[in-house]
Amino acid sequence: MASVAGTAFSVSARPPPRSLQVFNGLSVVKSVSFANQRKSIPSLRSHPATSRFRVSCAAKPETLEKVCKIVKKQLALPESATVAGHSKFADLGADSLDTVEVVMGLEEAFGITVEEDSAQSIVTVQDAADLIEDLVCAKSS
Amino acid sequence: MENGVRRWLVNVSQWNPSEAQFASVISLFPVDEQTAITRYIKFEDKKRALVSRLLQYSLVHEVLGIPFDKIIIHRTAEGKPYLKNSIDFPFSNFNFNVSHHGDYVGIASEPLCFVGLDIVSITTPKQETELEFINNFSPYLTALEWKNIAHAGSSEDMLVEFYRYWCLKEAFVKAIGAGLGYGLHRLEFHHTNWTGISVYIDGAESKKWRFSLSKLDEKHWVSIARGLPNKADELCCSNLLLPELRFSFRTAEELISNVS
Repeated sequence: MASVAGTAFSVSARPPPRSLQVFNGLSVVKSVSFANQRKSIPSLRSHPATSRFRVSCAAKPETLEKVCKIVKKQLALPESATVAGHSKFADLGADSLDTVEVVMGLEEAFGITVEEDSAQSIVTVQDAADLIEDLVCAKSS
Repeated sequence: MENGVRRWLVNVSQWNPSEAQFASVISLFPVDEQTAITRYIKFEDKKRALVSRLLQYSLVHEVLGIPFDKIIIHRTAEGKPYLKNSIDFPFSNFNFNVSHHGDYVGIASEPLCFVGLDIVSITTPKQETELEFINNFSPYLTALEWKNIAHAGSSEDMLVEFYRYWCLKEAFVKAIGAGLGYGLHRLEFHHTNWTGISVYIDGAESKKWRFSLSKLDEKHWVSIARGLPNKADELCCSNLLLPELRFSFRTAEELISNVS
């Protein structure tokens, strides 16, 4: 196996996210700072990265249902496709672009921010729903 | 003389196997590969996954002469496929990379340099505007890249510009086998009209990487990243400077007849 070249890249402070706005017909790059900062793409892996992933509230059925709907829509799955708690994101054909969009979609729908550490542990739709329930619980407590 | 370099593409929209044909092709592969392919929900994903394996096994067989039933391809924790069979000099750093998106599945191999490949299929976002879509990816692009995207022209031009940057970043990350957790905003691509492409990593230009970006058709672009391993000798360095090989098109049927 080819050994990987110098991957000792240390994570550096990231620049604030930029928002692309069209203003008076001109495209303007506007600097925006807000809480939703990421160092890396949340990766929906085919197996969990670590076992640090713990939830204190398991997802309510309506949360799971909402997550399934959002995921199905984002990934443009056919009506006949079943998306359930046990569905693995990798099997649903989510690539890196889809992954970013799915997480963004879930954050917007539930009014939460997903940390990339937690996001990396998400394997199934149930994992995502449980994590969201956890964040929603934490937010309201 | 075999030099270990390949660039192959398959247009999967041109392959429409029956269910029976599809099942028989899958059965040509080891059980773990079969499971990996059939796990996908969407048929298009299954098809791309199968063609990816056809490319991988055909390439390894052609370049290294290993019989099909002896080829062992595993995946790293990040999901990158690699050849488990031990290989002798001069191909001891032989590596390959695959990509699939939209209508194309591609593979690239190199004997000495690390290689990464990415194909993007540009689709107009359905649930949001082009700007809203690109905005989702704002944390992964640098200020300069954003500026270039913003000045690209129409919404459609901006979308294509975004996809070009994304394609290059993905090719790099795949070449180093880092997986999706890599901080894409650390990479900044410089170019002159998308030629002479170089990468700045954490603000510093890297001399160890070469890139190419080409258009496959109106909706598809492909990028290649080639880089030097840590202990790169002169042969490897001169290898990096070789001009990029053009892609050649293969068909699924051709690959299947190789493997059967």
